[in-house]
Amino acid sequence: MKRIIFSLLVGILFLILQTTLLPSFPIHRIRPDILLIFTLYLAFLFPPIFGGILAFLMGTLMDLFSGNALGFYTFSRPLVFFAAQFFKERFYLEGFYSQFLFAFVSAILEGILILILMNALQSLSLGNLYPLLFTFLLPQSFFTGLATPPLFFIFQKGSSLLFPQPEKGMKERV
Amino acid sequence: MGIRDFFLFRRYSLLIFIVLLLLFALVLMSLRAKQREGVEFFDALLMEICSPFQKAATLVIKTVQGTFTQYVYMVNLGKENRMLKQKIAELQEENHRMKEMKLANERLSQLLQFREKNSPSMIGAEVIGQDPSSWFKSVTINKGERDGVKKGMAVISPAGVIGQILKTAPHYATVLLLTDYNSAVDSIVQRTRAKTIVEGKGENRCQLKYLRRAEEVAVGDVVVTSGLGGNFPKGLMVGEIKKVDKKGHGVFQYAELVPSVDLTQLEEVFVIIEPLPSSQPQEEKVEKGKKTRK
Repeated sequence: MKRIIFSLLVGILFLILQTTLLPSFPIHRIRPDILLIFTLYLAFLFPPIFGGILAFLMGTLMDLFSGNALGFYTFSRPLVFFAAQFFKERFYLEGFYSQFLFAFVSAILEGILILILMNALQSLSLGNLYPLLFTFLLPQSFFTGLATPPLFFIFQKGSSLLFPQPEKGMKERV
Repeated sequence: MGIRDFFLFRRYSLLIFIVLLLLFALVLMSLRAKQREGVEFFDALLMEICSPFQKAATLVIKTVQGTFTQYVYMVNLGKENRMLKQKIAELQEENHRMKEMKLANERLSQLLQFREKNSPSMIGAEVIGQDPSSWFKSVTINKGERDGVKKGMAVISPAGVIGQILKTAPHYATVLLLTDYNSAVDSIVQRTRAKTIVEGKGENRCQLKYLRRAEEVAVGDVVVTSGLGGNFPKGLMVGEIKKVDKKGHGVFQYAELVPSVDLTQLEEVFVIIEPLPSSQPQEEKVEKGKKTRK
């Protein structure tokens, strides 16, 4: 329980950083989605049910502070979490490249899902939206991928320091 | 429930949980689309909890940024004249602080003049956070329902239109920026009086929709609000036309606009809590300027 509450607080902290610190960078496209990275890490730290609920809450928080009124992230974040749960034991996710690729692909797929939802539920034409794939989605996914290995390392260190008997780490699980 | 059924349930419990969670997310989406009060209350509650931290973080970041920009270029200076440089740094910091204060003073005086000139029915608000996602364009402000802010209200600055209120909490609100894909503002081209709707196109750009091909608009033309939407007073600067394309077929031409306000650098904004005298009467409020939601 302590771990769940702590993870939720860390999630709120990342949300605050994402809405305040990251937009203050001079280049807006260099803006990794640290909440997505954290959601991916939750897949290694929690069993599906608790982790799923946490991912759901992370998505709700994202929706709350974004201009998206319908709540796309409340739907997409648990999906990303379950996908990460499914793939974590099927791929080697220890090295820099594999972690980069894992986050990069997750960010791209989530972006495409959001694009589809925007097109389907908000009647926004794909013709108007597809330039965003290159101007936003690719750079942001790339930087999300780049930020993943160092952040995963920090999360691992942090969780092993904070909790005396941490869950099995990534190495033991793979 | 028989023993066999129970074991079947246990076996598929995870799958059932996943499906239920995702279904719940879809139900929430549907409730939000219908703007049900229960969901709005839940959203407002979460926003109230998180926004004070966001406000504090913005304050810290602004302070750190100011100091950082001041000192970053001095890191590689040699050991010589350290004392002197220390003194310079202190003076520069003081100078920087004074400059910041001067700039803030100028900005606030400008805002005050603008407010006095236009209407007393506006309240000033500070931007405390940006949109966490790159797909959508919004900001969080430190004024909410308790200050009279309601959904759909216009948000402006002395330079022009910024957007409209999307969500509210007792002390905070989210502003949907002009450049968001879901934003639409009823406007006119100032020179030709051609009617159009300014829709967001992401990345500090907007598109002029339903601009008739017969209308002679040119790059550099100024677009202002028409006042027909009901939320925005008439004649507020929206932006300047940057691209016109009549090559395609159809009744309408294509034009792009750059907002008059730099929406990536917002610090203070005004919320119009009552329509200005120049705006159209309430009966004329039409949903033309809005798309799927307020």
